[in-house]
Amino acid sequence: MSGPEDTGPEVTRDDPMIAAEWALGLLEGEELLAARGKATTDPDFAWRKQWWDDWFAPLTDGMAGAEPGEQVWDGIAARIAAQQTAAGVAAASPEAPTVNVVALEARVRRWQWVAGISSMAAAVALALFLSSPLGSPVAPPVQIVATEPMVATVPIGENGLRLDVTYIPESEKMLVAAIGLTADGVHDHELWLVPADGSALQSLGVVAPGEVRSMALPAAVTAKLSDGASLVLTREPIGGKPEGVDAGPVVAKGAFSRV
Amino acid sequence: MAARPRPASDEAREALRDAMARLATGDQAALEEIYRATRVKLFGICLRILGDRKEAEDALQDVYVNLWQRADRYDPTRASPIAWLAAFARNRAIDRLRTGKVRGGAVPVEEAAPLADETPLADMLMVDAEQAAQIHKCLGALDARTQGHIRAAFFDGQTYAQLAEAADVPLGTMKSWIRRGLQRLRACLEASEAA
Repeated sequence: MSGPEDTGPEVTRDDPMIAAEWALGLLEGEELLAARGKATTDPDFAWRKQWWDDWFAPLTDGMAGAEPGEQVWDGIAARIAAQQTAAGVAAASPEAPTVNVVALEARVRRWQWVAGISSMAAAVALALFLSSPLGSPVAPPVQIVATEPMVATVPIGENGLRLDVTYIPESEKMLVAAIGLTADGVHDHELWLVPADGSALQSLGVVAPGEVRSMALPAAVTAKLSDGASLVLTREPIGGKPEGVDAGPVVAKGAFSRV
Repeated sequence: MAARPRPASDEAREALRDAMARLATGDQAALEEIYRATRVKLFGICLRILGDRKEAEDALQDVYVNLWQRADRYDPTRASPIAWLAAFARNRAIDRLRTGKVRGGAVPVEEAAPLADETPLADMLMVDAEQAAQIHKCLGALDARTQGHIRAAFFDGQTYAQLAEAADVPLGTMKSWIRRGLQRLRACLEASEAA
């Protein structure tokens, strides 16, 4: 059997082609990650992905519809209600140390909502809050309030894959959640701080795919951490950027803000 | 929540567009409206890709919760809301399939190709008919085999590796076939836009 697609020169795998493969769902692993990263920084590429999505969408009319179970809506409503309650509690001003812990917990939940991250990451963040000296029961409440966590969400493309980074001032600890990422065995991803004052990038280390990890930050780094400081994620060889060579391509970006 | 007849009328389309706009302002009632109007179609998509009811229901929940959280991502000047939601749901289902939690997809390529056997529910909101006609025309212009592979990727979330194995050809051959097909498909669709 032969046809027009059987013969002829190899086609160029240009950006519109990669966008088509992505829209069909043919990209996997590292290529998928790279495409998502590219879409965040390259409007033409993002446009082309949407273009293919729009054209392919009518094909879904050929998929038989089906009625989901009633508990699906209940689950959606419950998840949204929980998020709104958490946001409401967090907005209330704390009046006693016990309330503070509740408020803190609520704030973590609100952050979880804002960032859309897993409950595991939130639990680790809460543990970090409470294990820091400021979170101990004898600490004056005012200091807990002063410890505004800073969070950054680094979306990798538009499909919900993201890094969540939380920095708790004065604890000098940073929490990096890379839950959706998977290792491809060939690359690592390295996180960099881009200080708001325009000074040189600082490496925050290689991220651990699929894990929530807490890291201690040196004073040189925390000094540069402020509202508006950005983060970039680059693709590197295993182990991170080697000495003496340029960093790899940026696959995602984000910025810190206070919760 | 019982299934209700929902004609894919202009009114239904407008109501959905309106609900999407209200959703972006944080109106929770809008989400329920959107759910009622689109759940059958979007669940059908998740079920087809994931091939497992429980997984598909989890995926569907994520779709609407995510929609609520990031309603601002929908650009009303571009796709029709139902087209956008359909692509959104399919992308989420594919993501879930690729994380390896399910062995999904399910049906062999030969069964996936014909569309005639698949009857949409009467109350399912459909994507714009004119656009549908064009993509079918352009896909139909490809040779039958390439068309079948592209459909299997779209409808069942098959990977290049799975398609190559099913067709018993080397991976590189399958990639060449599909890429040539996609190149022709793009040219055909672009020509229709220029016309």
